[in-house]
Amino acid sequence: MSTVETKKELIKEFSGVKYILTSGMRSKLLLAIYDGPKNLDELRNELKKPSATILHGLKELENINLIRKVQKYYELTSNGFLLTTNMVKLIENWYALNKNKVFWNSHDLEGIPDDVLKDVYLLKNAEYVASTTSDLSNAFNAYIRLISKAKKLKIIFPIYSENHFKHLIKLLNDKKLKKLEMVVSEEILKSIEENKLLKKELINNKKVKIRCVERKLKVFLTYSEDFMSLTLFFKDGHYDDSQILIAKDKNAIKWAKMLEKLY
Amino acid sequence: MDIKNNINNDIKFLAKSEIRLKILSELDKHPDNVRGLVKKTSIAYSSVSSNIGKLENHNYITKIENKYHINPMTQVYFKTLMDFKNSVELVNTYDAFWNKHNLNQLSITSVKRITDLKNSELIETTPIDIYKTHNTIKNQIMDSKNVRAIFPYLHPEYPNLIEGVLKNDGSVELIVPKSIFKELLFRVNNDVRRKAIRDKKLRVYSFEKDLNLYLTICDENMSLGLFKNDGSFDQNRVLVSNDKQSYNWAEELFNHVKKQVKK
Repeated sequence: MSTVETKKELIKEFSGVKYILTSGMRSKLLLAIYDGPKNLDELRNELKKPSATILHGLKELENINLIRKVQKYYELTSNGFLLTTNMVKLIENWYALNKNKVFWNSHDLEGIPDDVLKDVYLLKNAEYVASTTSDLSNAFNAYIRLISKAKKLKIIFPIYSENHFKHLIKLLNDKKLKKLEMVVSEEILKSIEENKLLKKELINNKKVKIRCVERKLKVFLTYSEDFMSLTLFFKDGHYDDSQILIAKDKNAIKWAKMLEKLY
Repeated sequence: MDIKNNINNDIKFLAKSEIRLKILSELDKHPDNVRGLVKKTSIAYSSVSSNIGKLENHNYITKIENKYHINPMTQVYFKTLMDFKNSVELVNTYDAFWNKHNLNQLSITSVKRITDLKNSELIETTPIDIYKTHNTIKNQIMDSKNVRAIFPYLHPEYPNLIEGVLKNDGSVELIVPKSIFKELLFRVNNDVRRKAIRDKKLRVYSFEKDLNLYLTICDENMSLGLFKNDGSFDQNRVLVSNDKQSYNWAEELFNHVKKQVKK
């Protein structure tokens, strides 16, 4: 294949994305009209651009059937609505990632299936808590505070940590925690079974349900009706207990459910 | 901060260059060096090399032992960008289905996950087979044990179809407009209907407002139909799919509409 042909094909492959996303005017117009139909005056005020520029952008969007003019108002067509909603999702996805850049960039994301990563915008209100040199267990303590109020917990447990188990057992015995569901790998389950105390307090506990999966787990996900939290592994395979992502809104819990469902 | 009015520069930077997108799509699969990328993509060496440099400078990729690796967050950026690309393509591919159709009753989640329908097939009637859409769905229902559906109008064959499923010991859950609720129920054989309702095998919800949506969820298939903007149902087109993602998509939409039914 010649370079010219390659280039032509590439341009074709990505044309839809490029046309919308790289023009500030086109994307801004779509977003402005997404809020509701607007006339030229309103658009001029909102975008602070001369009429000629705006009209030019509107014409372009009208030509590809993303907007239409009804009376004096511009509104999204069905196609425009579908596309703009997904553009908003893209922007929110990137916003959610950027907000916790350090968290996302330093970990292995392989344990999170693509299908859930695509909806990472649901975590846009999440905050991450990191341990510091002066407080090495800041993240862990934040986690313990979170789970201490929960009545029901679902956890994807990728590690064997007696420290975590100890706290959970205490919550179960204090009768605060009424139901605990855990997803673990075979390896971890074996280790739990080998420990007499854990076997008694977790495996033989009616309030605890343990589901064993064959594959190796790479996410530490916890959620209840009020919060979700996520910790991950480093790229080199080590578990990172120093950074935890926490959110307490409905969308984030929905995201956690989606992730858990895939295990 | 108003995140909505902000296609950020990161998005622009990546979307602007097809070459960078192509390089990322390769590195997303496997780490590689410039030579390897040239071979895989047939893009000129100098272009690959200069764009690799830009991506590295902007911290999207990292060089480890002679090979370039995509950074974890870039991977998610890239996936969400491709998800957007897929949504654009989906809108374009089924243009005849979406264009000039009423999408008001789709949930915002279903619009944001529109790419779940990517493996669908658009069934259109033809002059020699004007019942193709109806018959496609009819066959799906006849082959199903469990049927959930939103029927915005009463087709004379529906009562029989429902009866068939129930006689086969299957279950049926329907959302229909108030105007056809009684008519539909009374046309199902009395004994079959009473028994099914008693056994909770038949549940029919009456929808107070207008229903502008046609949806069926059968054992193996889902199908979606829309109303045109002029208010008439488009009998000539249905989107049909038999994969898991579409099934989940349809389920979400069904539950979304079900929530709006007054008890």
